[in-house]
Amino acid sequence: MPIEVNGKTLETDEEGYLVNLSDWEPAVAEIMAKEDDLELNSEHWDIITFLREYYEEYQIAPAVRVLTKAVGKKLGKEKGNSKYLYALFPYGPGKQACRFAGLPKPTGCI
Amino acid sequence: MSQATIEKGINAFKEQIDAPVAAFFSSCVSCGMCAEACLFYTETGDPKYTPIHKLEPLRRVWEQEYTLTGKIKKLFGLTEAVTDRMLSEWQELLYDSCTMCARCSMVCPVGNDIAYMVRKAREGMVASGNAPEGVRMASTRAVRIGSPMGVKLTSLQAQIRHIEADTGLTIPIDVEGAEYMALLSSMEIMNFPEYIGGLAKIFAHAGISWTLCSTAFEATNSGIQIGSSDIARELVQRVVDGAERLKVRAVISPECGHAYTAIRWEGPNLVGRRFTFKVIHILELLDQLRASGRIRTEGLERECMTFHDPCSLVRKGGVIESPRNLMNMVTENFVELEEHGKWGWCCGGGGGVSSNEEAAGLRHKAFRRKKEQLEASGADALVTACANCRLVMEEGFEGYRVEMPILGLTELVADHLVTEEGSGEPPEKR
Repeated sequence: MPIEVNGKTLETDEEGYLVNLSDWEPAVAEIMAKEDDLELNSEHWDIITFLREYYEEYQIAPAVRVLTKAVGKKLGKEKGNSKYLYALFPYGPGKQACRFAGLPKPTGCI
Repeated sequence: MSQATIEKGINAFKEQIDAPVAAFFSSCVSCGMCAEACLFYTETGDPKYTPIHKLEPLRRVWEQEYTLTGKIKKLFGLTEAVTDRMLSEWQELLYDSCTMCARCSMVCPVGNDIAYMVRKAREGMVASGNAPEGVRMASTRAVRIGSPMGVKLTSLQAQIRHIEADTGLTIPIDVEGAEYMALLSSMEIMNFPEYIGGLAKIFAHAGISWTLCSTAFEATNSGIQIGSSDIARELVQRVVDGAERLKVRAVISPECGHAYTAIRWEGPNLVGRRFTFKVIHILELLDQLRASGRIRTEGLERECMTFHDPCSLVRKGGVIESPRNLMNMVTENFVELEEHGKWGWCCGGGGGVSSNEEAAGLRHKAFRRKKEQLEASGADALVTACANCRLVMEEGFEGYRVEMPILGLTELVADHLVTEEGSGEPPEKR
């Protein structure tokens, strides 16, 4: 289902992830969050920014445990735990936060 | 892959029915002992999770196509055909509730290798389009990108930059003529890079020449997990091509259970020829280096520690003593779980289960077995040698609110290496 952001129509896949990662702008996160009944605060933005940087460096969307560990390393233990991250992103810090950050759906190992 | 259909599925089942499978089905005495060996049965009590029952579609095809009574029954309409509907119902039984841990194969009184048959039955599930989405997507990524998680060479290189900065050691890539070529699992690269750092430290300490390969760094094999020999073969071939290009003497299978089964035991059969190099598991190599005195450690962990046996590595792979020798080298209070070694219980996430979202709830239930086993051991910390087991158990601990650190054995050994340099004298034996 496409989303409307600042007058532009952006394509998303059936699970709501952006199809073209380059379409992302901060307003994308705001609009996706609104649809999930979430209001983004600076703590959300810390994680979204972290994810954008992570993807820039590793070119992979981190699955929830990878994200938790990486956040802990970068932003400290009090943020690198799933309780904190789930409180921020109730639909799953991996999936929901990656979607807001314009990343693909994160995947695990096999 | 071409379009999946029920006809292709049935044909795949027929192709998979070899002499062992026929012998196994005709030997089954319906005793049900395999049920008690399966954690999906023991933790739910649901008889549909009885391992041999999971093979009903394959058994039915065998009976109808290859036995006299089955042919007669089919002629008179006394037996039901295997339909797409049946297979979609069996998806849960052949994937969500089976980690191919092979504990059932161990207990079968007539020696039926049930896990071997599950692996084969999955070929029919793939051909008929009945494999779970999560495992299917992982396989697609493995073929297209080279990793079930989508880890690219650039992702590995980014991670290597961090490891090199942290350890001050070089992580060699594409060094022709190195003695060993190390493989890695995606999860090690992205979540447990300390494994790679551990390798670098140990090999520097032991003076071993090693390399990673830019075209074949991934060790996992989604083809084995989903049940597609075509995919499995292609992924093994990449490793073979990489190892031959770099002219290495041996390939090191990493701390990942099924990767070892794939490259060490199924690999040559899949590509149809002997390898020109040896395959060794990292724990086997470390144990050899320990025995020959090439790695020297100091200090012992004081905490009570236990070891979780990754099924594919221990029960199926036969690497049983090496982890124990290494545990004893670096810990002073190593306790075994009640059922361990080849009788160990699975973490519940092997065989593709951890990548199958639909199986998450069942996996959580099944993990209770491992959790109770660990609690009964009295251990303060858990050591293992498989990134997938480790992650599944971390998630399990979180779900059951268990506080127990989980460590990788290779890193643990690396943490205890004797560090002084150039003294020329061997340290005192501990």
